[in-house]
Amino acid sequence: MNSLPVNTWELNEAIKNTDILTAISSEFDTDANPATASTLQFYDDFDAHLWHAGYLLYQVDKQKFQLLDHSGCIDEVKATSDVRFWWEFSESPVKNKLQKLIGLRAVLPIASLNLLETDFSLRNDNQKIVVKGRLTQSAVGGKITCYFTLQALRGYAKYYTSAVRLLRPCIKAKVNDFGLRFLLMGQAIHALEPKQYSLPPLTEDMQTEPAVRAMAVAMLDQARLHVGGVIADTDTEFLHQFRVNIRKLRSLISLLKKALPATMIDALRPRLSSIASKTNKLRDLDVFLLAQDNYRAMLPENFGSGLTELYSLIKKQRKQEKNKVAGYLSSDNYRADLAICTAELSQHSAYQTPMASTPVLQVVKKLLLKRYHKMLAMSAAIDSQSADEKIHELRIEFKKLRYLIEFFADLLPKRRTGKIAGKIKKIQTILGNYNDYCIQIEFLSSYVDDTRIEMSKALSGLVAILHQKKLEERPKVENALADFFTENMTIEFDLVFEAAKTGDSK
Amino acid sequence: MKVIACYSMKGGVGKTATSVNLAYWAAKSGAKTLLIDLDPQGASSFYFRVQPSSKKWAKRFFKAYENLVKHIKASDFENLDIIPAHLSFRNFDTLLAGFNKRKNRLKRVLKGFNKEYDLVVLDCPPSISHLSESIFIASDMVLVPVIPTTLSERTFEQLMAFFKDNDYPQDKIIPFFSMVQAQKSLHKATMEAMSARYKIFLNTVIPYSSDIEKMGVHKAPVDTFAKSRQASYAYHELWEEVSETAKKLA
Repeated sequence: MNSLPVNTWELNEAIKNTDILTAISSEFDTDANPATASTLQFYDDFDAHLWHAGYLLYQVDKQKFQLLDHSGCIDEVKATSDVRFWWEFSESPVKNKLQKLIGLRAVLPIASLNLLETDFSLRNDNQKIVVKGRLTQSAVGGKITCYFTLQALRGYAKYYTSAVRLLRPCIKAKVNDFGLRFLLMGQAIHALEPKQYSLPPLTEDMQTEPAVRAMAVAMLDQARLHVGGVIADTDTEFLHQFRVNIRKLRSLISLLKKALPATMIDALRPRLSSIASKTNKLRDLDVFLLAQDNYRAMLPENFGSGLTELYSLIKKQRKQEKNKVAGYLSSDNYRADLAICTAELSQHSAYQTPMASTPVLQVVKKLLLKRYHKMLAMSAAIDSQSADEKIHELRIEFKKLRYLIEFFADLLPKRRTGKIAGKIKKIQTILGNYNDYCIQIEFLSSYVDDTRIEMSKALSGLVAILHQKKLEERPKVENALADFFTENMTIEFDLVFEAAKTGDSK
Repeated sequence: MKVIACYSMKGGVGKTATSVNLAYWAAKSGAKTLLIDLDPQGASSFYFRVQPSSKKWAKRFFKAYENLVKHIKASDFENLDIIPAHLSFRNFDTLLAGFNKRKNRLKRVLKGFNKEYDLVVLDCPPSISHLSESIFIASDMVLVPVIPTTLSERTFEQLMAFFKDNDYPQDKIIPFFSMVQAQKSLHKATMEAMSARYKIFLNTVIPYSSDIEKMGVHKAPVDTFAKSRQASYAYHELWEEVSETAKKLA
């Protein structure tokens, strides 16, 4: 197969186009095509999903975007500059790829690049093109950097070698993997820096209070990162991630409250609860709107107008609620609450309780066992007649159990804990689906309004369908609980988390 | 990968011009194309300014794909490579003579290009020989330029008969009218008669054109120096029709 050399060099600052032509023209006739200038506007989401997956999305003109993958393949797609979500791109393979890569995230402009490219052909005595070249001038903030690429042609490799030799006096350095990604890397783009927080490194003999404080501060910082996106209403993931981080923080504090000073718990709990509750309604509305296509598919077409009325009402409410949340997150109240939480968590450890100074791994293992046995008892009390609240309570317990494993995953035996976490995740999905039906029924029922007949008809239709689905889901819950809480699982928990030493069992 | 041979047992009918312009348009449309110049006169290599690199290599031509690969040269155009002709190719027939199974060799050797190319265009020498038979076996389509004259008609009939007598699939033969002078009543009449007799002629007609003759001066496909001229349009149309026909062969 064809493996001909293509190489790029950065040129010395003082080099001009004419210098290159002079250097090469001693052995070749050169043709230069007219230079093409382009400004590429690059887009990515908050998490830089595209960049990290090896993709670049950029706008090439008013109506057109290109997606460049790691192997150099370019796909085109139609969209305008104000495009944000994958579903706003025209039907194409790019749209499908973006759906997988960015999910519910919005893409935003992150950087732009001004390029001036001139293609050259180097000809031999027969006037046959024997080497191809490209001069790329990249302008960033007034500074222009020049690169020269030479491409050998099949059957004419010796000419390539000569061209490289002639070019040598102009060269500053060889560039590996030249391309748009290389040019962007030179720009130190803030938006591409990793934002995924990593929990502070823990050691198994670290005392519990400082360990919890360090993790809590990291979670609070992470939550704070998303506030700007919530206020700007960039995408629904900002609010979701903000809430996830606050929820994790509340779980951490609640799970390990005995390792923290009571006064601190008293200061944190109501504040974090208040922050979380202020965003509940907006999240409910978001969830409903994100699922609107599913709802529409559930009902016959003649319910369409009622659904449209419902959506426009919910969209209106969402707008109001979003303004309310944005107002709250910009308020002095919120800032003051957050400042108090940060100040409390950042203080030096007080070691007021025995647990505070106990090694964290010991505490966590004990806690995992305790919680597991508590959940085992709760599960035993659940049967087909149990109220939804009982299932909801157990769902919350599963969430906390999984968080506890996640928070301290680095200290726990990796393989066996991973298996347990996998099983917890599976049952969480089933419990989550059941809970979603309960919440959706409650949410939709609250909109039934006798003065809006069409809308209420659609709502009643949806509630009836969801109720049916909920009934179908219920036996799955009991089966999943029976599958999870087996004798083997109890033995596994006792073995993995009661063991005196850490380390993976072979 | 498809293999298209531009073939006629008669010389001077526009085989090379067809091979060159067809390969050019195929490459331009995005198909990775290899043009193999089998005619020892090397006219299509000349049109692309490509010269053979070694002194004598016909013997190795049919041996293995690896031998051929070394002789591939890039053209000036994206997606288009060439194996230039060599005077030693005149010995092909001696090489292929004797053993019947050797006729499959070309097909086997070309198979090696499957991964790298979408299309192989063979510019064939004007003769009916062992090499031609190898070409008939190796090709998915035998594209035959026919000048609408009595003599050409006779040659075409001979080709059809040859295919029939030797059990080569006649549906591989795709003829089209070449070097047509619309003002000549003989050309018109022959075209009408042949089209009526053989329903297999392509719709595209390549006109007689001084632009095609000028390929020798410019050493390049027509489109590069006579962009908006009739001959250039005709070859583009021919490629479109040939590529549609090739798709149906799949």
